[in-house]
Formats: sequence, C-alpha cells, structure tokens
Amino acid sequence: MPRRVSIGLATILIVCALWYAATAFFGIIPPGRFPSPAETWSALVHVSVRGYAGGELTMHVYNSLRLVVMGFLFAIATGVPLGLLMGWSRKAEAFINPIFLIIRPIPPLAWIPLAILWLGLGDAAKIMVIWFSAFVPSVINTFAGVRNIDRPVLEAAYMLGMPKIRFVSEVLIPGASPMIFTGLRLSLQASWTTLVAAELVGAFYGIGRVLSVAQQDLYPGMILVGMIAVAILGWGTTRVLGVAEARALRWNTAALAAKG
Amino acid sequence: MGVIQFQNVGKIFGSRDSGFVALKDIDLEIRDKEFVAIVGPSGCGKTTCLRMVAGFENATDGVVSVDGTPIKRPGPDRAVVFQQFALFPWKTVYDNIDLGLRNLNVSGSERANRIEAILNLMNLTQYAKHFPHQLSGGMQQRVAIARAYVLDPDVLLMDEPFGALDAQTRVVMQEELVRLARKNPRTVLFITHAVEEAVYLADRVAIMTRAPGRIKEVLDVASIRNAEDWDSHEKIEDVMDLESFVHLRTHIWRSLREEKAAQHA
Repeated sequence: MPRRVSIGLATILIVCALWYAATAFFGIIPPGRFPSPAETWSALVHVSVRGYAGGELTMHVYNSLRLVVMGFLFAIATGVPLGLLMGWSRKAEAFINPIFLIIRPIPPLAWIPLAILWLGLGDAAKIMVIWFSAFVPSVINTFAGVRNIDRPVLEAAYMLGMPKIRFVSEVLIPGASPMIFTGLRLSLQASWTTLVAAELVGAFYGIGRVLSVAQQDLYPGMILVGMIAVAILGWGTTRVLGVAEARALRWNTAALAAKG
Repeated sequence: MGVIQFQNVGKIFGSRDSGFVALKDIDLEIRDKEFVAIVGPSGCGKTTCLRMVAGFENATDGVVSVDGTPIKRPGPDRAVVFQQFALFPWKTVYDNIDLGLRNLNVSGSERANRIEAILNLMNLTQYAKHFPHQLSGGMQQRVAIARAYVLDPDVLLMDEPFGALDAQTRVVMQEELVRLARKNPRTVLFITHAVEEAVYLADRVAIMTRAPGRIKEVLDVASIRNAEDWDSHEKIEDVMDLESFVHLRTHIWRSLREEKAAQHA
C-alpha cells in the first residue's frame, strides 16, 4: 500500500476513534447534538432497508446523482462551446461579456425560488438551477484556457492552413483542455452544492430531501448519513472526472512532469 | 517558384502620427531558391519583416509579395519555423508533421511516404511516437523544421530558429540546415542576430539598423563561398577559420558596431 494511502486511512481511523470517544464512550457531546457511530449506523440501516423520507437510500442516491449528472452535462455541453466562442472571437466576447458581468454576481442558489416558480418541485427546476451554477465556471475557465494558448502555437496553426472545424477540434480544444478540466471540476462541485440546496428547499426524493426531513424529525443520525452520502457521491463523481482528465491530458501531465 | 519582394515597405505600430515606426523604406528581393539572412540588433524590426511575409502582420506602407502576389494571410506555401518551436504539445512528433499535409488534403499513402522521408532525413524516425516535451530543445526544433519542410513550401521562413538552443546543439543544427538546404533548396528568409550563423548559412546577408528599421547593406556571401570553396569543408569550425569567412564576419561586425556608435553619438 502506498504511504500516502496508509497515512490517509490512519487519519480516518483516528477521527472515527475520536468520534466514538467523544459521543458514546465519554459522552462529552450529547446525542441530541451529534450522533454516535452506532446511531449513525442504525440510521443507515433504517434508510437502506425500511426507507426514509419517501424512499430507500438507493432511490434517493439515484435521484440526486441523476439530477447532478444531467445538470452538469447540460451545463458543460453549453458552457464549453460558449467559452470556446468567447475565447476565439473578440466580437463574441464583447457581446456576451456584459451579460456575464450582470449575471455572475447572483449566487446560483438565488435562482432556486424562480426556478421552482417556473418549473415546480420536480426535476426540471433542479436541473435548471444546477445548470446555472455549473455553467459559469465552465464558460470562464474554457475562455481563459483558449486565451492561454501560446500565441506562436496558434500562429503555427494558421500557417498550416487549418480548416475551421479541425482548428477547433485539434488546436483550440486540446490547447484549452487543461483549463477546461479545471472548469469542469469546479462545475461538478457547484452542481452538488446546488443540488443539495435545491432539494432542501423542495423535493420529493433525493439526499437533500432526506436531510430536510431528518432535520424536521430531530434525527441527527439520519442527518449525518445524508451528509456522508453527499460526501461520498461528490468524491466519487470527482474521481470519475479525474480519470477522464488523466486520459485526455496524458500529454500534459507528462509535460508538467518534464518541467519538474 | 518563390520570389519574395519587399517594395518600399514600412510598418508603424499604433497610429500613423504617434505610433512606433518599426520599419521604413525596406526594399529587398529574395530570388527563387536563395537563402537570405537578415542580421541586426534586437528591436530593429527583422522579425517584423519575416512576420509580414508569413502573413501575421500587414505592411503599413508598400507591398510585401511572393511571386508577385501581395500577402494577405498566413498559408502553408510559406512555412514558418519559430524560435520557440511552437509545436503542438498534445500531438506526437508524427502527428505534428502530419497536420499540415492533412490540411493540404494529401492522400494517406503519400503522407506516410513524405513523413517517413523527412523523419529519416532529420534523424527523427525513432522519436515519431514521442510527444514534444519528451525531446530536447534541439530535437524539438528538428521536428519544427521537419513540419515546415514536409509541406514542400515555396518559401521557408526561419525566425531565429536556433536562438533558444545551447551552443553545441546550435552548431549541429546549423550544419544540418546547410546539408538540408543544399540537398533540397528552398527560398529561405532567415532571421538571426548571430553574425557567424548568418555568414555560414546564407547566400546573401542583409544588415539592418534600428529605429527606424532599415536595410543598411546587403552582402553577397555566395560568390565568396563558391570562389573559396567553403562547401568542401564539412565542419562549421573549419569554415569559420577561413580567412574569407573571418573577413566577411568582421565586416558585418563593424557595420553593426558603427550603427551602435552612431546611435550613442
């Protein structure tokens, strides 16, 4: 086992031990404030087997994951091309940037009431809000990525007489891809944040729904289960993105390693 | 064919009244298959001359043309070798060289043949699948030269191509370029501030002055090279030892130094 992994595991074990000591063993933290490991486990069993807040854990997870993935994919499918366009054309930048300057300072969560008003408590409203929060980092980072491509590399492409589509697919996108992936990572984080917030406000299923029902039920064990579930899902999806990034940027990771 | 012409070319960066006059009254004709080097101090506008032929900059006055056609935009008929190599870091050596041929819609089998030939010529065959950063600076510039040469361009534009290389690599590359240029002559415009390099490589050397950039003098090296049979020497240091070489080099040095002195006076 690599050293880093073993140290990481040791840290987690120590935190769990402290948790157990503070809640169950010494009883420093009262159970009403923070659940003990045993309470958390029983909450996990509760939601997994009997179901809670309208469904079993798998169903909540499936719903949340589905919405995040859809909102995220929708956001990058629109955000990355727009960022490419703005990075490529000064005219497009001049047109679009003012709109961005107005919309950007609005926190994505502030759109939740409007989204629910327009689209109700179902999936559509949440996808819209996730789209909105994930869209901005994709656009901005893709834009910056295009602008960061070395000038001589672009000139070399012009010199080689590139057809437009090939220029986009073989020069602009790969050249901007390190920054594009940075944007995607930020977008993914934003997607989870926004999803949980949107589900807290109003949802029929999902982890945010579990959290809000558990809060009303004064059920700390279930709250912690919801939080851990979000953490694991966020980690897992980021991991998947990381694998895709490592594949796509093989040339770049090696280039960074070569630079030292 | 590949005749480059500068006719009364001027370049002003910024507005016509208050902008920076980079070039003034440049008149130069580079004949077909001729190798011309421009030497001059930093900021004399020599790179701007090359960029205008490449189509990256437009002339403010006068006309820059190739074979009588004024230049509007960059194109594969005028291949450029950049000082910083400007390879596509996300493409392998092979794909870097292939890209220009694909753009020209050369057939697959012909592309493979031409790339194989140029890889062979530039001693790059074993690095075909490498990414640029896996290679040394000298190797990367070799790839950039291969990428330009494989297009079989009328005109080859080299902007201080060896400026970023260490002294030893530089010498090897200079010898190789001479070998390549003799084997497969092209019209070459070569920008450098290294006087020896210009004399060693070029048929003619144009000396530029600064602020505003003008051509002060054009020296015919080819006639001396042929008369003194420089090409019978294989190594660059042997050529550099020849009296005729030293004489030419000193002449250019003086010319550049007078220019410096005149500016300080």
